[in-house]
Amino acid sequence: MIRPEEIKMSAEETGKWGMVMDQDICTGCQACVVACAMENNITFVGEEDSGYGRSMHWIRIERFWEGEYPEVKMTPNQPMLCQQCGSATCEPVCPAFATVHSQAEQLNLQVYNRCVGTRYCANNCPYQVRSFNWRDYERPEPLSNQFNPDVTVRRRGVMEKCTFCIQRIHKAQDKAKSEGREVVDGEFTTACAQACPASAITFGRVDDPESLVSQLAKKRGHGIKHLEELGTLPNVTYFKGG
Amino acid sequence: MIKRLFDWLRQPLGLIAVGITLLAVFSVAAYGISLTQQAPEQPVQFPHQTHVAFGIQCLYCHPGAAKGPSAGIPAQAKCWACHNQIAKTETSLLLAPLKQAVISGKPLEWVPVAQVPDFVQFNHRAHIAAGQNCENCHGDMSKQNVAENPQVFNMGFCLDCHKQVAGDDHEKLVKLVDCGTCHY
Repeated sequence: MIRPEEIKMSAEETGKWGMVMDQDICTGCQACVVACAMENNITFVGEEDSGYGRSMHWIRIERFWEGEYPEVKMTPNQPMLCQQCGSATCEPVCPAFATVHSQAEQLNLQVYNRCVGTRYCANNCPYQVRSFNWRDYERPEPLSNQFNPDVTVRRRGVMEKCTFCIQRIHKAQDKAKSEGREVVDGEFTTACAQACPASAITFGRVDDPESLVSQLAKKRGHGIKHLEELGTLPNVTYFKGG
Repeated sequence: MIKRLFDWLRQPLGLIAVGITLLAVFSVAAYGISLTQQAPEQPVQFPHQTHVAFGIQCLYCHPGAAKGPSAGIPAQAKCWACHNQIAKTETSLLLAPLKQAVISGKPLEWVPVAQVPDFVQFNHRAHIAAGQNCENCHGDMSKQNVAENPQVFNMGFCLDCHKQVAGDDHEKLVKLVDCGTCHY
């Protein structure tokens, strides 16, 4: 049991990578969802499996209604992805240590070759952002050429989730190191942030006060971290009604 | 029925039959295991030994190792740059596939020998930049003909070296033994 004062103490420590979502300018166009699927080799499960609730997305656009039909008012669109919690509820329940916390990047990792598919992590995730490979989904010839070689193609029986495009993080770090410098803010971004036509998603270092995410968070004032009261220390901040 | 079979097996002729069967099973198993230890069939029986002896650097034919994740296997154009000046290329039976590939423009289908599984993201550049030499993982090519894999690339092999390189540097160790460094 975590006491509230402990949460407050650890909440002062920030993670490394973080994201800022501006719900006021998000149009809900789903470009991020498509870009994420392309970048991370996420399969299209088809109509039937989708009907069973087995659709696979690492990011989704949530929409809610206020009021009774027909006088409904739509609330701002809410892109929901893995919040890369500092104290993640998915991690301690994994019996195979397949979902572990990266000490180097301060991210929640999913190690596919360790995962045995108990799905315990997905059941314990308060954000419901993990998806499970219920089948091996075939990709016929021309489609198989679109796989991103930097990302593992997952097989059946493996859990997966948003990685904050860790392959892009590593690529940028590798490039910076080969040029003998540090990674510059804005040098790279995640697939969803890159695809967003309204620039509603911003990605960067939250531990650097000069970075764009920190500046945006400061400018917009009070942001919301979803289900923060659970003590998960999410690294994604949402802004609306600014 | 089964009792009669056992009785038959107990007599000298039966014992010989059992012996022959066991020997056959054992030799098939031994042959199967030896097959997994052989280097795959290559389109050209490329002698690494000879090329290294001429003083050709690894990075001349595998330049990707210094630049990016994949070391790369040379296309026939690179081989031809030297080989079209060598008289033996015209007559050698060993080099016939190379000549054929240059004329037809169809690439030689080399079989990669040193491989890691799909769930491992390996980057040659970082290893070369960290001062590792090719032979640390790929073995001494000056003693090999057709490329063979000198060791199993399993996680223990990688981590042993990573831990040794990191030494007492805690920050480096955290980065080098982090799951996310190789698996994503």
